[in-house]
Amino acid sequence: MTAPRKRLSTATLVLLPFWAVVIAAYIGTMLWTVQISFTASKLLPVDDYVGFAQYERLFSSTRWIVSMQNAVIFGVLFITGALVLGFLLAVVLDQRVRFENTLRTIFLYPYAMSFIVTGLIWQWLMNPGLGIQKTVRDWGFESFSFAWAVDRDMALYALVLAGLWQASGLVMALMLAGLRGVDEEIWKASRIDGIPAWRVYLFVVVPMLRPLIVTAVVLLSISVVKAFDLVVALTNGGPGISSDMPAKFVMDNLFTRQNIGLATAAATVMLITVAAVLVPWIYAEYFRKTRKGAAA
Amino acid sequence: MKELVRSMLVGAAFSLAAMPAGAQEKPRAEVMHWWTSGGESAAIKTFADAYAKAGGEWVDSATAGGENSRAATINRMVGGQPPTAAQFNTGRQFDDLVSQGLIRPIEDLAQAGGWKAAMPASLVAAASRDGELYALPINVHGQNWTFYSKDVLEKSGVSELPSTWEAMIPALQKIKDAGFTPLALGGQPWQERALFNAILLQQGGKDLYMKVYQDKDEEAVRSEGFRKAVETYGALRGMVDAGSPGRSWNDSTSLLLRDQAAIQVMGDWVKGEFTNAGEKPGEDYGCTIGLDDTMLMVGGDVFVFPKTDEPAKKAAQDLLVETMISKDAQIAFNLAKGSMPVRKDVDTTSFDACAQKGLKLLQSEEGQAPVFEILVSASLAGSVDDVVTQFWNNPSAEPDDMVEGFVNAFEIEG
Amino acid sequence: MSLETARPRGPHGESAALAFRATEPGRAAGSAAAHERSPTRGRKPRHLTIGRIGLYGFVAIAAAFFILPAVVMILTSLKTMPEIREGSIFALPESFDLTAWIKAWSSACTGLDCDGIRVGFWNSVLITVPSTILSIAAGATLGYALSFWRVKGADILFAVLLLGAFLPYQIFLYPMVRAFSMVGLYNTLFCIVIVHVIFGLPIMTLIFRNFYAGLPVELFNAARVDGGGFFRIFWNVMLPMSTPILIVAAILQITNIWNDFILGLVFAGRENLPMTVQLNNVVNSTYGEREYNLNMAATILTAAVPLLVYFVSGRWFVRGIAAGAVKG
Repeated sequence: MTAPRKRLSTATLVLLPFWAVVIAAYIGTMLWTVQISFTASKLLPVDDYVGFAQYERLFSSTRWIVSMQNAVIFGVLFITGALVLGFLLAVVLDQRVRFENTLRTIFLYPYAMSFIVTGLIWQWLMNPGLGIQKTVRDWGFESFSFAWAVDRDMALYALVLAGLWQASGLVMALMLAGLRGVDEEIWKASRIDGIPAWRVYLFVVVPMLRPLIVTAVVLLSISVVKAFDLVVALTNGGPGISSDMPAKFVMDNLFTRQNIGLATAAATVMLITVAAVLVPWIYAEYFRKTRKGAAA
Repeated sequence: MKELVRSMLVGAAFSLAAMPAGAQEKPRAEVMHWWTSGGESAAIKTFADAYAKAGGEWVDSATAGGENSRAATINRMVGGQPPTAAQFNTGRQFDDLVSQGLIRPIEDLAQAGGWKAAMPASLVAAASRDGELYALPINVHGQNWTFYSKDVLEKSGVSELPSTWEAMIPALQKIKDAGFTPLALGGQPWQERALFNAILLQQGGKDLYMKVYQDKDEEAVRSEGFRKAVETYGALRGMVDAGSPGRSWNDSTSLLLRDQAAIQVMGDWVKGEFTNAGEKPGEDYGCTIGLDDTMLMVGGDVFVFPKTDEPAKKAAQDLLVETMISKDAQIAFNLAKGSMPVRKDVDTTSFDACAQKGLKLLQSEEGQAPVFEILVSASLAGSVDDVVTQFWNNPSAEPDDMVEGFVNAFEIEG
Repeated sequence: MSLETARPRGPHGESAALAFRATEPGRAAGSAAAHERSPTRGRKPRHLTIGRIGLYGFVAIAAAFFILPAVVMILTSLKTMPEIREGSIFALPESFDLTAWIKAWSSACTGLDCDGIRVGFWNSVLITVPSTILSIAAGATLGYALSFWRVKGADILFAVLLLGAFLPYQIFLYPMVRAFSMVGLYNTLFCIVIVHVIFGLPIMTLIFRNFYAGLPVELFNAARVDGGGFFRIFWNVMLPMSTPILIVAAILQITNIWNDFILGLVFAGRENLPMTVQLNNVVNSTYGEREYNLNMAATILTAAVPLLVYFVSGRWFVRGIAAGAVKG
């Protein structure tokens, strides 16, 4: 029984450099973030501890509260929207439509573009004086209105729309790949039984795509929590603070406002929030599912 | 901690110095800045050329966006590989770097060069800590200009631009009734705040402006004068077009160029847009400081020089200071940049009609007030932006909300 | 161990087998193409029915939504600045003018120098190639180790990695700059590559872990019985099956690394600045003039490499995920 032991130690050895990276880069930075959040640090970190003062300041800030609420609304709409739209696009492309390659590229290209500029385009499109609204009105539809980016009540949805434009293609590609792996026998069987296609998709295909959907949700969640370029380029958090997001709050305070203490406090709160969702999920998803027969 | 940073910096500097030892005889200066557009590029080139002429080698590190460039600079300093010089805005952005001992004082160079007395006192004060100069101001940007389209005023039946905000509001209403956009504003927090500060300085006067931003005086914020400025500001919310929110200042200037909007309150960099479109100051468009050409809000750019123990690097910095502040370079740079020379004692005949108005005010200390970034910390500046933008973008917000917002921000930031 | 015996069975075995076939030498390209045309894929084709018309209607609307910004970008890039200032964003350019494209590539000002965005092109290549390869190698190894080899604490490692992926990059800057300068690596090409590998680790690990977790354990056990060790199984059994997911990972990483701006700016050093720094300098001026035609051209040009990668590997990309997707 020496062989398995030897292999086990190889795996353990292989993991060592990863542990080093995780401890040095990730755990180190997380601990550092928490530490700095208890100091009065401004432009550069200092060791001037002030207890929970930064957290008190954080939660007395209207802007922070609004950004957290926005993140929830944006997150739910964006993740659901991107999953549904991405899945629908994939299903449609899986129906043997013409020009599939072209269409796939059209749906995927936004992912490759810098949002500094594509955000500006969306700003133009949703600007009442320049964009779609003006054009449609010039056609004679005087009452047509589409000015989300400049409307306090709609700016957040403008972000969702542009976000969907950017991210849905990636979800589509993931899902389409999944659909291509679905066994033709399933379709044959369902046709013989006369089951409508939508039911097969919903009750057979979607459960089969679960690992992919999980990957997509994680990727999308990360982009919600880190949403910065999107916000800055499209609405800059405005009008007012109506479309502000947590990552923008952190970045403003980290650089422009020279408030590292407050920025790290905000980052810590974000991290705790994510952990509160992530840890139970990881536990359910991975920890308990010990693989039978994996090398122990 | 401080010691650690410092010893690391020194260590890294030495290890670096060891490598190219003696390789360069020419003073070699790496300069970090955020001037990247065509016009800005032409401006920085005047400095680079002057430096080359003086026998130095200019190594250019440009990153667009002030916060990007500053982030790169600060990380280079933290990482022990500082540039020779780095751009900051005049103000308190580099406070922490000075107090951590990372910036070289240039008081000795100022004394030797004798140019300090020729600079506006507020900019010298903003660049100094404990009476020592730590940054080199290189230009003056006036930030409370009102630019206006002569055509739109004429077509609206407004013969002359009013010289007070009291008279301005009805005039703007008249322009609005004539079917034009009275005020071209880009609805980004910094532009919204710049408009408010211009009004506060014009309508409330320099005393009130300084009491609010320098002394953070709660009484001044609760005074009648401050409230009047807020009311004027509030009244302007109805004077912008629907496309205002989020727009850049350039696109707002385009409204003036296309004769769709009447006035824009902004800094003097706006002139560049008019020039690019082939319009001339005084002829095609008008410019006035504040509304009556009496009080210039001054700000601008500075360079800081990271501390170094290497004689070669020091020499490169010495030459850089000497070059950038020289009279010739001041004229060439500021003509290209559209700003004003930071020295009173240079020949300014080649500057345009608008700049002449500003240059006149720069001659006396009474005719100028510092931009608020010089008076308040970056953090408080941000909180003020938050208050102002929330008031501006909420049609139902009352002047009281803004006053309380200011009091609250001053309280939290101290 | 022969590959034949390793072919997985079970309800979802087909797709793993499909991945397998695709990687057999000599057959790869041909079989992929054949499969694309194979009538057995997806729903059966139908004649033009109401449903079919509705389907194309949806496709048309979706495509219009996605393509609209690109149309505006291209139109704008072909106009002159006065045209842009005066006209509608949807208006056609007066003449077909490529000036902005040429200027963006080779003569736009990005500071003192006016050499366009091409300056950083090879730097971007030099950063992207090793960073992509190394981060995928790291993610694949870790994902494989986490799925098949139960090492104590490995799940905690994975949990921390995933959690770390949610912390903004910018927070990492200060401590990482300090750390790299302490070991004397700061501002080098090596430094930026390591930084990309570190930041790519969570997502790469997630993807490979999910992929390998979907493979039948019997495959691994058979290889163990044959006496394979950690690396031999990885190299001889797992990697040959991973081609499709490797392509997926490559596309994700090439896009992310090629488009990165802030990490390159802070860690790469002056000599190695990526193209996105020049792009930022062209499009992101605060007080200078904004040449929109130039901005659009520069953006599309910068995105050309990831777009080309999508285009070339589109078929593989999509087939790729298929293999790992439908299991687990």
